[in-house]
Amino acid sequence: MRLEPAARADREGAPCPALDEPVAHPGPADRPFPTNSNAAPAARDVHAARRHRELQQWHARLRLERQLHDGAALRISALALQLGLFQHRVPPGEPELRDAVGTLQDELATALQELRDVAAKIYPPLLDQAGLGPALRNLVERLDAPVRVTAGPERFGAAAEGAVYFALADALGVDAGALPDEVRVTRESDHLVVVVSGAGVGLGELIRDRAFPLGGSVTGPDVRAAEPHGVGTIVVRIPCE
Amino acid sequence: MRVALAEDGALFREGLLMLLQAAGHEVVAVAAGGDELISLLATTPADVAILDIRMPPEPDGGLITAERLRGKYPEMGLLFLSHYAESHYLMRILEIGTDSIGYRLKERVGSVEVLSDTLGRIADGEIVIEPVLAKRLVERPRGQKKDEIAALSEREVDVLRLMAEGRSNNGIASQLVVTPKAIEKNIANIFAKLNLHTDTSEHHRRVLAVLTYLRSQRDGS
Repeated sequence: MRLEPAARADREGAPCPALDEPVAHPGPADRPFPTNSNAAPAARDVHAARRHRELQQWHARLRLERQLHDGAALRISALALQLGLFQHRVPPGEPELRDAVGTLQDELATALQELRDVAAKIYPPLLDQAGLGPALRNLVERLDAPVRVTAGPERFGAAAEGAVYFALADALGVDAGALPDEVRVTRESDHLVVVVSGAGVGLGELIRDRAFPLGGSVTGPDVRAAEPHGVGTIVVRIPCE
Repeated sequence: MRVALAEDGALFREGLLMLLQAAGHEVVAVAAGGDELISLLATTPADVAILDIRMPPEPDGGLITAERLRGKYPEMGLLFLSHYAESHYLMRILEIGTDSIGYRLKERVGSVEVLSDTLGRIADGEIVIEPVLAKRLVERPRGQKKDEIAALSEREVDVLRLMAEGRSNNGIASQLVVTPKAIEKNIANIFAKLNLHTDTSEHHRRVLAVLTYLRSQRDGS
């Protein structure tokens, strides 16, 4: 999913209030694309610019999700309460009116659920609030997938966490038959490291697509070693923010 | 019933306050955050505290506030309200307590009847879980969970049931008239049979064991 317009708005707009550190911090490891058009950009400048753009997109997603929650969703929840008060004040002789208010409340609950579903596709609130461990456990629980998730409470930044989460969510959503056995999340200095065992080639590709723009590296699965099932172990390393 | 309320969203807080009053409850404290609620409750007793999970102190002020309230006033019921019904939060809530506690979606307590029923059950010592979440837990790989409970001995089921009632190892030991050492052994067997691996803390495994038991109970009913 690409969110180009939002990412552009992000660049011009206010800084993301949730971030302890700014998204862009030009330095040796993360320099924006050179503005001097005469100079051919070095490969690492291109990579840094790509990572910078990708970080901004993830933060734009996060901000959209929070906007849905803090704006529309809270307003609708409060409206449901006001309807409850209204229902309480309906005179006893008006059962139809009472029921009609109840139906309206149910409609509001359905609208809220639809908002939650949309928000979860933009950026899962549980991933934002509680991190990769709880979000991945929730994902396998909902899909009823026998995947073991091992993760501590560490946080790695919205982009790295989002990349890993969505790669696995895509893989599980596409082909539930090709589930990995285990996902293990750890930190190695300033990198998020995810080891996925029992993973197929397809999952490797999905993870590469998400990890490379963030300057991440992916090894495996070396399926030759794991014939005949065609599965192996993937190791993903993504720099934290 | 004497109810205390902490919620940082002004619109929702005002709406809930009016609904509580319409339902005939005495709202003894209203606050926009957990710390404020705790200082209000220092001078005013309440039967149940209603807490927004996500409020100050950030990030999960409702959970932190609940831990403090449970420590200070073990008899006070706790009702968590959230925009999300997630088993992650249910686990954390059950770590705070397994009696007089509830977890519901904000938009689902929007009638006098539901609100009063929820508060009443919590005040009576029950666990109240948002039906959509309870349903999701129950509809998970049922066969496996049933087998797991079936694998427990009669004594182990007794121990698990008492754990679900929120009793400590010593409390369970005195209830069953055995030594705490014997209970520890029973619990280790329960963890092993329920496949609660050693990569999680003892306390977390205890909660998971209780949850498995609660799920199996719902299966039976």
